[in-house]
Amino acid sequence: MIMTRQEFLTSSGVEAQTLEFWLEQEWLIPERNAGGMRFSEHDVARARLIRDLKADLGINDEGIDVVLHLVDQLHGVRRALAQLRAELRREPT
Amino acid sequence: MKDPYEVLGVASSASAADIQKAYRKLAKKLHPDLNPGDKRAEEKFKEVAAAYDLLSDTEKRKRFDSGEIDATGAERPQHQFYRDFAGADDGRPYTNSAGFSDFINEDDAFAELLRRSQEARANRRGEDLRYQLAIDFVDSIAGTTKRITLPDGGTLDVKIPPGLVDGNVIRLKGKGEPGAGKGGPGDALIEVEVLPDRRFTRDGDDISLELPVSLSEAVLGGRIRVPTPTGDVTMAIPKGSNTGTTLRLRGKGAPRRGGGSGDELVKLKIVLPKSPDPELEAFVSNWDIGKNFNPREGSAS
Repeated sequence: MIMTRQEFLTSSGVEAQTLEFWLEQEWLIPERNAGGMRFSEHDVARARLIRDLKADLGINDEGIDVVLHLVDQLHGVRRALAQLRAELRREPT
Repeated sequence: MKDPYEVLGVASSASAADIQKAYRKLAKKLHPDLNPGDKRAEEKFKEVAAAYDLLSDTEKRKRFDSGEIDATGAERPQHQFYRDFAGADDGRPYTNSAGFSDFINEDDAFAELLRRSQEARANRRGEDLRYQLAIDFVDSIAGTTKRITLPDGGTLDVKIPPGLVDGNVIRLKGKGEPGAGKGGPGDALIEVEVLPDRRFTRDGDDISLELPVSLSEAVLGGRIRVPTPTGDVTMAIPKGSNTGTTLRLRGKGAPRRGGGSGDELVKLKIVLPKSPDPELEAFVSNWDIGKNFNPREGSAS
């Protein structure tokens, strides 16, 4: 499901000002088109992670920057690993 | 559900600060998004989060301690974690390769494989876009061109080939999402629904039609006009036709793959005039052969 900025704010409970900060930090990078921002489920889940890190785990903004950067790298590595696995399966050794 | 104090590993006399500290310590280890490959982390995290939700709420904790409520029903509503999305699709725009880019520049088989998969990603073909389109039965047989309006306001002309069957998918090459690098655009896939027609039904390449005829047309024969998906045609009805008599219009059905067409099967149905006719009644009451004919003879009833 794709949401507009307003729908995203309503469903996630994130304050408009907070969202501005997150966008500025590039913690969230929604797609943009002529009609404005478009938030995917992927963005919404990421917003939930940021909220968990902040509210539940007590991580401050500096810390969140680090955590997201590492999480993004981790997923990059996991993806590369998955692709390698697929390649190895295809190729006779 | 387990005892929430036990789940968090705190004494029942623990202070609110101790409870938060214990929860944070566990959550940092167990949060599913900080453990993308650990399937069990989610279960454990949910247990810990539910225990914390109960004990961090002073009111709920009081009621739990006094035995008014138990620990069930405290689970957080089900939701998907970030890892479920970051692992799907291609992870854009967040996932990055900074964690292994040094390996790619090495000169070994491993680096070669990494480079190849990176390249495949860089030259990724665009996504296919799916649309749905409903057309009239007649158009599905004769073929037509339909224009669909896209969500972004653009339009797409879809050529419906003659003889299309309900559920067929038309592929418009290159009309999908743009690709990356050397990867071409994806295709538009249009699933076509053929709306039912009140006159025609289709059976393979043949089309059936039930056609009302008058008693005199049936008895005496004649030439009548018959609708087909490509327009009316004239057809001869033989003398002595009956309800159920099926006549075949060759080549008036759906076009066949590789040339030719199916047939249109015209099933006649005799219809008497709406208001009773005294002349007809008089004739039938004096018509001995008609009265002695039993159409049910030999049948089980």
